[in-house]
Amino acid sequence: MRSSVLIALLLCFTPSLSATVLLPAEFREIVSGSQIIVHGRVSDVRAEWSDGRRRIESLVTIEASSFYRGTPVRSVTFRVPGGQIGRYKSVTVGAPEFRAGDEAVLFLRSQGPAVPQVFGLNQGVFRVRVDARSGRRLVTQPIVTARGAAPETVARGARERRPLPLEQFAAQVRAALQWPSSWRSPAWRSRASRRRRT
Amino acid sequence: MALACVALASQPASAYLKLGTRVDTRTVTLQWEELPVRYFVTDAAGGGVTAAQLRDTVADAFATWHAISTADTSSEFVGFTNARPNDDDGLTVIGFENRPDQDRTLGATSFFVDTISGEILEAEIFLNSSFSWSVAASGEANRFDLESIALHEIGHLLGLGHSALGETELRDGGRRVLAAETVMFPVAYSTGTIQGRTLKADDIAGLSDIYPNLDHRRQRGSISGRVTKSGRGVLGAHIVAFNMRTGQLIGGFSLDDDGRFVIGGLEAGPHVLRVEPLDDGDIESFFDLTLNIDTNFSAKFHDRIVVVPRGGGTNNVEIRVEPKN
Repeated sequence: MRSSVLIALLLCFTPSLSATVLLPAEFREIVSGSQIIVHGRVSDVRAEWSDGRRRIESLVTIEASSFYRGTPVRSVTFRVPGGQIGRYKSVTVGAPEFRAGDEAVLFLRSQGPAVPQVFGLNQGVFRVRVDARSGRRLVTQPIVTARGAAPETVARGARERRPLPLEQFAAQVRAALQWPSSWRSPAWRSRASRRRRT
Repeated sequence: MALACVALASQPASAYLKLGTRVDTRTVTLQWEELPVRYFVTDAAGGGVTAAQLRDTVADAFATWHAISTADTSSEFVGFTNARPNDDDGLTVIGFENRPDQDRTLGATSFFVDTISGEILEAEIFLNSSFSWSVAASGEANRFDLESIALHEIGHLLGLGHSALGETELRDGGRRVLAAETVMFPVAYSTGTIQGRTLKADDIAGLSDIYPNLDHRRQRGSISGRVTKSGRGVLGAHIVAFNMRTGQLIGGFSLDDDGRFVIGGLEAGPHVLRVEPLDDGDIESFFDLTLNIDTNFSAKFHDRIVVVPRGGGTNNVEIRVEPKN
């Protein structure tokens, strides 16, 4: 009883507004908006000057264990903003950093011959860790996905949203791949804009 | 030319997320040691906004941060430049760049750091001109409010990380921000609103923690303690302090393996504490995920009201959470 009163109090003081950087994606948008979905382990991270030596980016190479989408190859290289060259380091707030040995499922956008990049700056990174207690591989970032058509607040601490064993996460990816292509992000954003105008 | 220095710290020590970056085994805190921050604005229009409008909007956003009475910050517009944001050229530049490939990023802040001296050589704010922007006093439908986004990015430029005082909603197959009690929430709300131009208690507390003045030290208090699960510290738990008298919300995180947290910048008075996991996505927006952030616990209210003294602190608060499974 006391808890529910406090919850109500907190919600009352959370007025409707917000800001800023990223447009957040639902899990099926991340899946449908990624041309490459790969699980593996980072084998190399190499920072280099790009765009005519104007900025530093890092090329991250992942040795693939399995592909959920895209043509299977032994390794995939993608780019992320920032990196360190000699004594100088470029840091972009919110951009993921990788080290050799990191294990992850990566959702990558790939257009033509350009080097792929992570979906939504960081939204396409799902790190994998070995659970010390069970020894199982867990995907630490919980999946945020709708359970039905009704509007649903993403409340923190929900029991069903927890780190998933890798095989269960893979099953969720495969299930999301079966969803219709109308989930692709531009279509959703267009619908969302129309809704906001009303 | 070096514009500022950064402090070297072995680990993040207190509430909010202050920006830092790993250099070998150190954490370098990104904070301007010399003020004013001297910045350029790109001499280019973008997203329906002229360069002059961008300059004025950026000045307004800086002024909003500088108006915080419990923090000392300042900035200076140096002039227009043809340099682009994101160029690692030694200039602090704020401007538009057309990046349709980054179709989910409205803007981003980056730093160029000398890892030997710890100096910030430059900081940049990139605003994505592939989106439509507005500088209208009351906002425009289908356009993102430039001042709101600039305010958020300048918060980063001054050293603030993201705040988790926000909430999202799944609706019609998409995800959108429902509410936030900070301008430093990392995800966008909607077009047409200008509410993101207003700083909240969480933003004010965060900046005042980085650049405190005497008022801050005298008037504000803190809560510190640990978040534990099965007797062990929880790393990355989000702790929200709710002031029962003012209704203000200020958030912080447990920032080490012992689950220790400090939430500063609190007004004196009784507070309710709530702990929750960052299990609603985007952990990477908050933490370097080489850290083992724990999201496997249920949200919980602390079972006692915590009274914060003016100019002092309430310590040794322990909040025990339970695993979800």
